[in-house]
Amino acid sequence: MDTYSVIPIRFTLNGDKVSIEAGAHETALTVIRERLSLKGTKEGCGMGECGACTILVDGKSVNACLMAAPQLEGRTVMTVEGLGREGKLHPLQEAFLEHHGVQCGFCTPGLLMSAQSLILETPRPTHKQVVEAISGNLCRCTGYQQIVDAIQYGADKTGGEE
Amino acid sequence: MLTHPAYARPETLYEALLFLKTHGIDTRPLAGGTDVMVDLRAGKLKSEYLLDISRLKELQGIGLSKDGLSIGAGVTISEIYNSPLVAKNAPSLIKSCAFFGSPQIRNVATIGGNVGNASPSADTVPPLLVHEARAVLASENGERTVALANLFEGPYRSGIRPDELLIRFILEPADGRFTDFQKIGRRKALAISRMSMALLADPKEDGTLGTVRLALGSGTPTPMRMEAVEAFLKGKRADRQTVEAGSRLMAEEMVRITGRRPSTEYKEKAVQGLFLRILAPLVE
Repeated sequence: MDTYSVIPIRFTLNGDKVSIEAGAHETALTVIRERLSLKGTKEGCGMGECGACTILVDGKSVNACLMAAPQLEGRTVMTVEGLGREGKLHPLQEAFLEHHGVQCGFCTPGLLMSAQSLILETPRPTHKQVVEAISGNLCRCTGYQQIVDAIQYGADKTGGEE
Repeated sequence: MLTHPAYARPETLYEALLFLKTHGIDTRPLAGGTDVMVDLRAGKLKSEYLLDISRLKELQGIGLSKDGLSIGAGVTISEIYNSPLVAKNAPSLIKSCAFFGSPQIRNVATIGGNVGNASPSADTVPPLLVHEARAVLASENGERTVALANLFEGPYRSGIRPDELLIRFILEPADGRFTDFQKIGRRKALAISRMSMALLADPKEDGTLGTVRLALGSGTPTPMRMEAVEAFLKGKRADRQTVEAGSRLMAEEMVRITGRRPSTEYKEKAVQGLFLRILAPLVE
């Protein structure tokens, strides 16, 4: 079996096919944020504690800082940039604005992705399910209540559009 | 500082085992990455190779047979948490998965990684121990099965040989007996257990305890069964007095095994509290 210091990887990022070479010493976060310049995915702690780097891989929330870049091979990845469209926010994003779920904004992309992962599985989450779904995301500004409200409201609106 | 290990992605288990036969000593298996990538970033990963076993089908799957409940080493904590088979046959394992890390961690972290990393605070280990789990290990030479209780050699030393991979675990089903898992952490999510405990017990009709299995995490160098406490409880009625005496014995045993450390003063009280909490549903 061959070993690689860098290996070609192909994956789908926000609907587009991506080909890039990366090594196991690089994380999915480095590739997305530094190499592909999608700056919505943040690095907070770099060790899976804060959730600022949360992305969806095959629809499930993961910490991009803990995924080796070659593990992206063949996966379907969504970052916060894939949530809305140019000029049109996703209902979850609108809800964050309306319910004051954003203060400094650093945790927001990660929280949006955790919320999106939740409503893909549970379109009408309870308060408890929302709290559980964002338990891996730290916010040091809001105190969370506004975020929980925003996600429940956003889930209702998302469901309403489908 | 980041080290630069080379990356290898085997297509089959056999390919992985052949690789380990030659390079095992220089290789760290990579599954969910939630421990490996933290070590890599901290400059603590000294391995020359990362062997990506996260796609090996041979490490997947949960099934029930006459041997017991089988859980593949590559099964994620989320998959275990959502498995009706595990919920029925090992509810305490489900509970340990419910409080494991965070949703993002649970979606990728595997039970094999949690066990193989051999942390004293590994959350899935106390439940596995009370189910008398056996670990199936494979090398190019074949498979061997080891009682999980005999696998660990010390903190972060799993006893898995460099040319071996954990393949699956086989648990004795709960079969209607009482099982539970309890843990103390600094915060609810993402907390490394400061102490954890699993119990499997079989209260008889006359109120005495039949089988009692009790495992402690984060209180001893590796998670382990507390056999002296099990023997003390067996055949007794779970009344207030017995359980309180049991909790004192639990603390004594922990100190006897681990020795006194700066954290002992806290842990002696914590272990008694956790013991009383986990036995409370059985107390008359």
